[in-house]
Amino acid sequence: MEIVRKAQAGTMQSSDLMVFLEPAPQLRVEIDSTVKKQFEHLIRRQVETVLERFSITNGFIRVSDRGALDYAIAARLETGLFRACADQGELS
Amino acid sequence: MKDYFMVVRLINERDRHLARQLVEDNGFIFEEDYDLLFGKFEDGELVATAARDHNVFKMICIRESHRGGACLGELITALIDSCTYTDIRNFFVFTTLENRGTFSHLNFTPLITHGKVCLLEYGHGLANYLQQHSALKRAGNNGAVVVNCNPFTLGHRYLIEEAAAQVDHLYVFVVREDRSLFPFDVRMALVREGTADLDNVLVLDTSDYAVSHVTFPGYFLKQDDDRLQLQMEIDLLLFARHIAPFFGITRRFIGTEPFCRTTRSYSDTMPHILGAAGIQTDQLERTSSNDDPISAFRVRKAFRNEDYEDLRKLVPATTLNFLHSTDGRKLLTTSKKYRRRH
Repeated sequence: MEIVRKAQAGTMQSSDLMVFLEPAPQLRVEIDSTVKKQFEHLIRRQVETVLERFSITNGFIRVSDRGALDYAIAARLETGLFRACADQGELS
Repeated sequence: MKDYFMVVRLINERDRHLARQLVEDNGFIFEEDYDLLFGKFEDGELVATAARDHNVFKMICIRESHRGGACLGELITALIDSCTYTDIRNFFVFTTLENRGTFSHLNFTPLITHGKVCLLEYGHGLANYLQQHSALKRAGNNGAVVVNCNPFTLGHRYLIEEAAAQVDHLYVFVVREDRSLFPFDVRMALVREGTADLDNVLVLDTSDYAVSHVTFPGYFLKQDDDRLQLQMEIDLLLFARHIAPFFGITRRFIGTEPFCRTTRSYSDTMPHILGAAGIQTDQLERTSSNDDPISAFRVRKAFRNEDYEDLRKLVPATTLNFLHSTDGRKLLTTSKKYRRRH
């Protein structure tokens, strides 16, 4: 899938996150988190896993996390991707 | 389980009045200049409110009994969501020193702390903005001008040419904010064309980080003096602490300002704030035509009156060509109905 438009998903509530996506020539992931110091690598790994699953190779993805668990990160990012991509694809 | 109450738009007079009360109870001034107002009710009582003025979140107030919970997160979510289908990418909040930490926990980055006031932005817009322009970084003693160029005149040309001769590289920051008669794209293009022959001049936009709706709303809207002064200082501090060090800027050039009081007090404040950061302010005498200083205001007036004889003496050929073009003629129609300050 390819990110073709601006989209976002999630909330700024505690234990949730917001994901902002927009088209870009390269793939770039920016992570902001209240627990960045401890968990940035894990958040990034989770984001990258989802991006790989959807074969996303370009786009600017900003994650603003407030201590969300892995499955919340995956869910928010998937929703964001469905909103941002032209080919809505099949839910996998 | 407790009922869940949502953050909603406040649109009627009664709700606005409740919001005003809540804001004033918190010791703040209810500012009328906002685009959207939000609130959260519980059992008919307004427990929280917040407003968005373009890209600035303000009047964020929560009743004391509801602080420390989910309210703030809900308000911020509503404010951010309201920008989804706009071209606003960076969000800002002005707050007090003691609340800085609260916003940091919502992933706001502090940009400037000045006295008791803090300016924070959601995310990393400033860092990204600088990074995007890293290809324009040059070693040496560099200077800068920040210009609106509405439109580019012989006065701007004179200022830039004189300044460029005194430094290794001159950065020309064109104000991004689109609140002027000439749209940003046109202003930017005319600056580029009008300075294309100057080898050491680099033209870039200011994004939200200089003379913008965030840093200096007084340039676009009339405001009371105290608030205006504070905003000018914050605008200059952003330049001194973030923009200038990144590009190696040690001098900022301005023209004398015979007309606009706001711009004049901005110029008067500049040496104090920039000087403290080791940046020199150089004020150059404005250039004249027929003994009257050239200003963009005068150009717009001549344009509105279709006085092309006068315009020829006020703007370079590149700008004159644009004014004669189809796009320029369209702006002529707009300019006759134009009421804004710039």
